[in-house]
Amino acid sequence: MSHLLEVKNLKVQFKLDGRTVKAVDGVSFHVDAGEIVAIVGESGSGKSVTQYSILQLIPAPPGEIVEGEVLFEGTDLLKLDPRSQELRDVRGGKIGIIFQEPMTSLNPVMTVGRQLEESLILHLKLSRSQARERAIELLRRVGIPDAEHRVNYYPHQFSGGMRQRIMIAMAMSCEPKILIADEATTALDVTTQAQLLELLRDIVRSTNTALVLVTHNLGVVARFADRIYVMYAGGIVESGTCKDIFANPRHPYTVGLLRAIPRLDDPKDRKLVPIDGLPPDLSQKPTTCAFMPRCVYRTARCAQEPAPPLTPVGPGHEAACYVLPSAEEFSAAANAATAASETSAALAAPVQQKQTGETILEVRNLKMYFPVTKGLLKRKVSDIKAVDDVSFDIRRGETIGLVGESGCGKTTVARAILRMYDPTDGQIVFRGQDIAKLPKKDLRPLRRHMALVFQDSYSSLDPRLTAANIVGEPLKVNRLVASRAEYDRRIDELFELVGLRPELKHRYPHEFSGGQRQRLGIARALASNPDFIVCDEAISALDVSIQAQIINLLEELQAKLGLTYLFIAHDLSVVRHISDRVVVMYLGRVVEIADWKSLYENPKHPYTQALLAAVPIPDPFVEEQRERIIIQGDIPSVMNKPPGCSFSNRCPLATKECTEQVPPLTHVGDGHSVACIKVS
Amino acid sequence: MEMQTTLEEPVSTAVARPRRGRKFIQVFLDRKAILVGSLILLVMVVLAVFAPYIAPYSPYQQDLDHTLAPPSWQHLLGTDLFGRDELSRIIFGTRASLMVGVVSVAIAGGVGIALGLMAGYLGGIIDSLIMRIMDALMAIPPIILALSIGSALGGGLKDVMISLGIALIPIYARLMRGQVLSVREADYVIAGELSGSSNLRNMLVHVLPNCVSPLIVLITLNLGVAILAEAALSFLGLGMAPPGAAWGSMINDGYPYMRTNPLLSFAPGVAVMLVVVAFNLVGDALRDALDPKLRGSV
Repeated sequence: MSHLLEVKNLKVQFKLDGRTVKAVDGVSFHVDAGEIVAIVGESGSGKSVTQYSILQLIPAPPGEIVEGEVLFEGTDLLKLDPRSQELRDVRGGKIGIIFQEPMTSLNPVMTVGRQLEESLILHLKLSRSQARERAIELLRRVGIPDAEHRVNYYPHQFSGGMRQRIMIAMAMSCEPKILIADEATTALDVTTQAQLLELLRDIVRSTNTALVLVTHNLGVVARFADRIYVMYAGGIVESGTCKDIFANPRHPYTVGLLRAIPRLDDPKDRKLVPIDGLPPDLSQKPTTCAFMPRCVYRTARCAQEPAPPLTPVGPGHEAACYVLPSAEEFSAAANAATAASETSAALAAPVQQKQTGETILEVRNLKMYFPVTKGLLKRKVSDIKAVDDVSFDIRRGETIGLVGESGCGKTTVARAILRMYDPTDGQIVFRGQDIAKLPKKDLRPLRRHMALVFQDSYSSLDPRLTAANIVGEPLKVNRLVASRAEYDRRIDELFELVGLRPELKHRYPHEFSGGQRQRLGIARALASNPDFIVCDEAISALDVSIQAQIINLLEELQAKLGLTYLFIAHDLSVVRHISDRVVVMYLGRVVEIADWKSLYENPKHPYTQALLAAVPIPDPFVEEQRERIIIQGDIPSVMNKPPGCSFSNRCPLATKECTEQVPPLTHVGDGHSVACIKVS
Repeated sequence: MEMQTTLEEPVSTAVARPRRGRKFIQVFLDRKAILVGSLILLVMVVLAVFAPYIAPYSPYQQDLDHTLAPPSWQHLLGTDLFGRDELSRIIFGTRASLMVGVVSVAIAGGVGIALGLMAGYLGGIIDSLIMRIMDALMAIPPIILALSIGSALGGGLKDVMISLGIALIPIYARLMRGQVLSVREADYVIAGELSGSSNLRNMLVHVLPNCVSPLIVLITLNLGVAILAEAALSFLGLGMAPPGAAWGSMINDGYPYMRTNPLLSFAPGVAVMLVVVAFNLVGDALRDALDPKLRGSV
């Protein structure tokens, strides 16, 4: 039987600065009608380039499709001229694409209805009024309430999630045979992401459309995909049904990926097993197996013979590996790695058990309002209450997780604590001193005791300074070293501490990889020997295999140096893994505080419950049995919070009294506090 | 502790990496354009310094029998209205013109960049105060501003340089402030603040170096503007007093004879062009050599 779409031996390269980057190197895969196929890989694995090449959407030059076939309904799409009518009919017509950035994919000066109509008129040759009717129907279908009116709205009048819904409507508008979703939900919050994925699945199932999910998130894939292709360094390393890949992975890379991510249903003390090293530079890709340098199972054969081809390892299950370790070998190796790191951690840290000491930071009724001004004279008309009456405390040596969706104020809290903002009201007691109102001048000597690790490791390192100068800045500024020799020694020490070779210290930030840059950021944070470090989404921009390296590094450093972390993240699995206690925020307020165990196993606040339900678990068997109640609607803007409890408009438990008063954060026992009048 | 996470180096470090200074010079020299640019500037400087030894005649020596002479072996570029040797005047003019260009742009750039840096970084009242003054200055056409300042100061060449410098300040302040506003939001500036750096240190270490690229371009362009502005001012009676030689005034003096003796305007014009092109080439190279990202790819 021929497939709906079949890609054979696709090779794509980019010529950059005189180097040839083999972005896609001999990729073959197929998609059948009505199935959901996932292409999983880290950044630079070639997963998106593969999809764009199918439609000849890569910029050429520098891109070039070297060879391969893309058979779609019997025609080879690569043979068509990029500007031909036939190919245009396929693009956006028979094959729809949803991009990652809903902000930039919609034209801001056209109403969404108009944009939908355009493609309907173009591809389906509908009349204006027919197109309008169909546009409204499509919007209704993707869950836009009040579609008759909203069709006349401009993109900026919709939230990010809504915009992505519109993108789905647009991609589905011409009844495509295949829908390609390129990281379509990555930029969205978990609850929105869950809503959209459910929507996508329902739509393709009901219309028998094939869906290609391109993603780096294995969790997303587990619940939705029928079949999975795992890509690494421009090639497919393993393919099979979703259950095969998760239950019986055969390629060491796939196994590595699965071990590197924390899961909601993990045992708490599981040590993440990162994949050591970095993906290869695709302009100098070796002819041998590309994963070999990072592979624990490599043999002499791997180093000599050309890259292994995909070979069947079961019905519909293929892997590209000479060794093909068995499940026992995989777990044996993992145990060995865990044991090794445990002993080394034990040696390094005499304090094995985390001991939390006295309160190091106390946040009391913190309020951070930003004025909304109007007119020429900047008259203040109202306040944006980004952080409204937040209280919690942090004890020495513990990790506090701060979670919530975008716009909930978690970063603002962190910045207020670090006094990057001047808090509107409240107290921040750090080392026994209220710093909330301290003038900048008196704050400076305190700076060395607190540090921040940024999300974007690239923009947080001054591009004009060498790594050594960046890491050494706190040393110089606070005069922590007496001599040049001591300074150099300390820099080397810091580099080694974060797992970087000191020889690299004369390099500039752009010469490091993403993971290495984040290590530099951590080294800088550690330079002044702070006891309190804020990690603001410190790992969310990193690839899965690198993420695990950094999480482990942070944990090791904590054990070794007795650090206290405020760990801000939107990834609840990671927060669960690393935190001792967790603070959940919603629209500027704390809704729940508890130790990690009570919070994850017995969440009390309906919002926490909803958040946890939305987190995907990378295991199709668990996902099958999991009842997911996904909250509907979007997070309202902080500017117009609902009266009373801010969650009341989305809460399944909400009654009239919820809209009448703001529920206070009440202690319900055992260090567990909840802000909900329905919970006692 | 054996760090299990120590990373393999993606690029070989077998080759010793040149230290920063060496690399800077290397990039600078690796480009032919830079070589040409620096060579022109070098020649100009030599001409300016050793003018009396190089120039065939004195720039003031009049030969009223041979006025407006066409190029000949005696006078390679011909003579002007008073029979003075055009070539010698250009060579001597290098002194005044280079000085006007460099000094006035140095004043404008130095003051403008400092003001823009303060306005952008410190914000608030300081920002409003500085920028409103700049707006006021900008409202007056630069040449008229320079004219009034220059005549108030006295009108010599020195006064022209100062007045031109002041007249050009607002352009630098504005551009710099815009740059600073975008750079100061960068995480690395915040990181500097968080590590306890003073405002001054942050401005000089993090903000200034990351703002300079467009300013270098502006500086190289403005050198030509300043040299020509000197001509305009000298036409109005400021700056180089008549027998003195400066390119700008020579271009001006040549205008009436454009049909018969085009070289009188053309030759000093070429000199101005050469200087501007040379500064441009060197400026571009300087910009790239200062940027660690470009250093690798040059």
